[in-house]
Amino acid sequence: MATPVSVLRLPKGPDPNSRGFDPNSPRFVALCRTSISTSAAEADAKELQREQRARSALRERFLRCLLTMTNKKVQFHMHEKVDVEATFGASDIDVLNFQVSDLHTPIGVQKEALIRCQDVISFTFDM
Amino acid sequence: MAMRQTPLTCSGHTRPVVDLAFSGITPFGYFLISACKDGKPMLRQGDTGDWIGTFLGHKGAVWGATLNTDATKAATAAADFTAKVWDAVSGDEVLSLAHKHIVKSVNFTQDSNCLLTAGNDKLLRIYDLSQPEAPSQEIAGHSAAIKKALWCNNDKQILSAADDKTIRLWDRSSMQEVKMLTFETSVSSMEYMADGELLVITYGKTIAFYNALSLELIKTVEAPAPINSASLHPEKDFFVAGGEDFKLYKFDYSTKEELESYKGHFGPVHCVRFSPDGELYASGSEDGTLRLWQTAVGKTYGLWKCVLPGKSLFVSVYTFCLNKMVYCG
Repeated sequence: MATPVSVLRLPKGPDPNSRGFDPNSPRFVALCRTSISTSAAEADAKELQREQRARSALRERFLRCLLTMTNKKVQFHMHEKVDVEATFGASDIDVLNFQVSDLHTPIGVQKEALIRCQDVISFTFDM
Repeated sequence: MAMRQTPLTCSGHTRPVVDLAFSGITPFGYFLISACKDGKPMLRQGDTGDWIGTFLGHKGAVWGATLNTDATKAATAAADFTAKVWDAVSGDEVLSLAHKHIVKSVNFTQDSNCLLTAGNDKLLRIYDLSQPEAPSQEIAGHSAAIKKALWCNNDKQILSAADDKTIRLWDRSSMQEVKMLTFETSVSSMEYMADGELLVITYGKTIAFYNALSLELIKTVEAPAPINSASLHPEKDFFVAGGEDFKLYKFDYSTKEELESYKGHFGPVHCVRFSPDGELYASGSEDGTLRLWQTAVGKTYGLWKCVLPGKSLFVSVYTFCLNKMVYCG
C-alpha cells in the first residue's frame, strides 16, 4: 500500500477582503516604483524618518478628505477630458472604486454608480 | 517504500480554469498566472500555489494569461474584447487594448517590449508596449478564430494555431506566412520550448512533437483519452498531458511509454504546464481548481515533505485526513 506524500500545509487561498499584492511583501518593496520615490536605497535613518512622517501625513490627509467628502457634491476630472459631478458615498478599501449617487453625465443622470478610481485624474469639492 | 502522489489543490476560482502560465525563475522564486472564466485571473507563488493577488478589471471570461520572464508584467486575453497588460507586482492594470472580438491568446517577447495577441477576429496583432497609443501591426491569413499565438525563433517568428485546423509559421519582419501545417481536426493546444526549438501540439488523443523552425514532425504519442493540453519537461525526459477523462498522464519522452496516471480533478483538464525548474507541473480544470503535481513523487520541495521511516505512521494519518478534506473541499 503506497503512502501518500505528506504536505506541510495546503496552498493559501485568496483573501476575501482584498485583491492581494501585499505591499509589505519583499518583492513589492524591492520592485514597486511609487509615485514619490523612497530614499530607502540610501538607508539614512533620519531621512527615512522624515520621509515616513511626510508619507503618514499625506495618507492621513487623503483619508480625512474622503471622510469629509461623504454626501457632498464632488466634481471628478477624468481621462479623455471628462468632467462629471456626483454626490460622493464611499470608497472601497483598495481605492479602486468610488460609490457615488446622482452622477451627472453628458447622457443623463445616473442614480447610483461606481466610478473607477484609475480613471480619475483629480477631484474637487467645497468643504 | 512506494510513495503516492499528493496533488496540492489551489482554490479560489469560481469557474473553469482555461489557461495557465509560469514565469521564469526570478530572485523571488517563480510565479504562476491562471486564466478563468470568472474573469478574475490570479497570480500565485509557483512552488507553493499560495495566492498572491487577483487582477481585477476584465468584464468577461479570461481565456488566456501570461507572465513575462521576470514576472513583473502580466497580460490577459478576455471575452470582453480586450487584452490587458498588468503590473504583476502591484496588481494594477497598465494598459487595456481594445479588439474587435473575443481575445484568446497573449504572449510577450523576451524583452517584454512587444505583446502578441490573437483571437476570434482571426488576426494576429503585435503591440509595441512603449507606444501603446500607436495602432498594432496586423497579420491576416487564418480563416477561423485563432486559439493560440506564440513568439518563436528568438522573437523573429510567430506560430499560430486556429480553428481552421492549421498551424502557421509567420515571419515577423515581412509579416508573411512561411509555413503551414494542416490537421484533420482542430488543434486543442500548442506549447513552444525555446530551448531545443520544440513545439508540442495536442489534437484528438494525440500529443505531437515538431521542430519549431522547420515544422517537421518528430514523433506522435497516443493517449487513452482526448487530450486538451500537454507539456514537455525542461530536460525533455518526460511530458505530461491532461484532457477529457479528468486524469493527468505522465509519459517517457524517448520511449513514448505511459509511466503514470493521476486522478484528482473533478472535471476535464484544460491546461497543464511544467514549472521552469521542472520540479512540478500545474493543471487547470473545468472544476475551477488548479492542482500542483510533483515530478519526483516523494521529494521534499515546496509544500511537499519527504518523511523518514519511523515518523511515517503519524504523518500518514495526518496526510490521510488532509486528503479527505481536499476531496470533500
